[in-house]
Amino acid sequence: MLRMSLLATLAFSLCQTMANAQMSHHQHASEAACEEVDLRCASKVTPAFASDGTLWLAWMAGGRISVASSKDQGRSFSTPVQASKEKLNLDWGPDARPQIVIEKNGGIALAFSIFRDKAFNGQVLTTRSSDGGQSFAELRPITASNDSQRFATLGLDADGSAFAAWIDKRNRVPAQQEGRKYEGAGLFFASSKDGGTTYAEARLASDNTCECCRLGFAFAGPGRPVVVFRNIFEGGVRDHAVMTFADPATPGEVRRVSNDEWQISACPHHGPSLSISAASTYHVTWYTNGKARKGLFYARSDDQGRTFSDPLPLGRADRNPTRPYVLSGPHGATMVWKEFDGERTSVNAMTSHDEGKSWSKPVAIATTTDTSDHPLLVSDGQKIYLSWMTKADGYRLLPIGDGS
Amino acid sequence: MKRCLLAVIFLLVSLAAAPAAETPSELKPFVRGSWQEVLRSHAGRPTLVHFWGVTCGPCKVELPLLGQFMKDHSEVDVVMISADLVPNLPGAARAMLEKAGLGSAENWLFSDGFVERLRFEIDPAWQGEIPRTLLIARDGAVTTIEGSAEIPDLEKWLAQQKAVMR
Repeated sequence: MLRMSLLATLAFSLCQTMANAQMSHHQHASEAACEEVDLRCASKVTPAFASDGTLWLAWMAGGRISVASSKDQGRSFSTPVQASKEKLNLDWGPDARPQIVIEKNGGIALAFSIFRDKAFNGQVLTTRSSDGGQSFAELRPITASNDSQRFATLGLDADGSAFAAWIDKRNRVPAQQEGRKYEGAGLFFASSKDGGTTYAEARLASDNTCECCRLGFAFAGPGRPVVVFRNIFEGGVRDHAVMTFADPATPGEVRRVSNDEWQISACPHHGPSLSISAASTYHVTWYTNGKARKGLFYARSDDQGRTFSDPLPLGRADRNPTRPYVLSGPHGATMVWKEFDGERTSVNAMTSHDEGKSWSKPVAIATTTDTSDHPLLVSDGQKIYLSWMTKADGYRLLPIGDGS
Repeated sequence: MKRCLLAVIFLLVSLAAAPAAETPSELKPFVRGSWQEVLRSHAGRPTLVHFWGVTCGPCKVELPLLGQFMKDHSEVDVVMISADLVPNLPGAARAMLEKAGLGSAENWLFSDGFVERLRFEIDPAWQGEIPRTLLIARDGAVTTIEGSAEIPDLEKWLAQQKAVMR
């Protein structure tokens, strides 16, 4: 009897230790601060300002996409609403994040990807709220295809229609069946005329693009979507390209942003960023590790992406600069990126008042001591703000000075 | 908890009687300081360190080739480090390793949410692209192969290692 109770005590204490170890290990290993659906537990947060100045956020936390709004620039938020009834196996790729656009009439369109199977094949799902974010319609796949789709980006055109582009692997198997070598995935697109409820049939914009990087997206004008993406050029060179659509149904030419000569058969998980100013300047930032150059770079184009300026390096090379983002606003353009010194991550910013021809000195505007989301920029039509989710310090929205 | 208690009691009771069953391939948690541990424990031996991930397309093609390379060359220490961003999934990682014949390699799994810091310890210039192979010579000299490694290149490096020995 004594032996049995000793055994039971030993077993109990072992289980306690295992439970504690599992818990602390889990907390430590997660890129989120907690496992619930709250904003403070989010690993990815995407911002958008409505035309009335309300800030909307869509975030990934606890296996759900949640949406909430703030009327006081992020100091307080409305009660979050989940976009799905059920928990989802959300795409946790480093460059995956929910997409949100706010229509002038208050409608909200969302797009995001999930892993649909154990082989990590993705599926892009969409939904819409017609009641100011109080509820969302049933989730719908953006396309009927069952092949992997990831890295959707969503934009709102001047006429109120939504334009989506994503990376899609549907051409892979047919090519292989015909005995052709197929690298990467296709850049696909579709438009929605009903505010993101239904999308037109998906179409190919360009084949053989990199399969694991976010897309950069902006409008060059009404009905002129522009996508920047990591392309696969001849010889497996994964350099960046830009495509300006003639209209939302007509893809344009693939034009090279720069010759970095990054020949690599791998997933960089590190996509570009694009913004287009009112004066039609294309601002592009990207990461490369090519033969010609390594690190983060910026270039501008005055001729709709036909030619670009010489790439301008960003950040301190010894501090692993990552995740560049650019946004043009009424008072100039701003760029941010992350640097890491071995202990601390900082977000560095610089600004330009001459369409990107010259830039201010970089300034660290925020820091954190644990993992963090990519730094993003968002504009309310006046100011530009840094939107940054961090594990240790939660969500931050910081107005960025003009650097003058 | 109750199930765990029962399981542990069963385990303790059966431990004395049953011979040790074959354990599934171990996945060591790769955390802060693990990189130095890897370097220390293989110092003086030719070592192939491979960074990969379950969501990485090119890795799916390369892993079985590395499995064969390990089988053919017992003189090289093979260290596999699953370096997808967390959540790194132990079940999926183990299944892929075993399918590729790498279950018996020294297998690690990124297990720290602060991956920037993990990568910085390994190579401050590495931004996380996988696959990535580091060939570490007896004298500690590191050759980095970005993207999928070509097996003939690995063979060539190994031949150089052997030549140095002679």
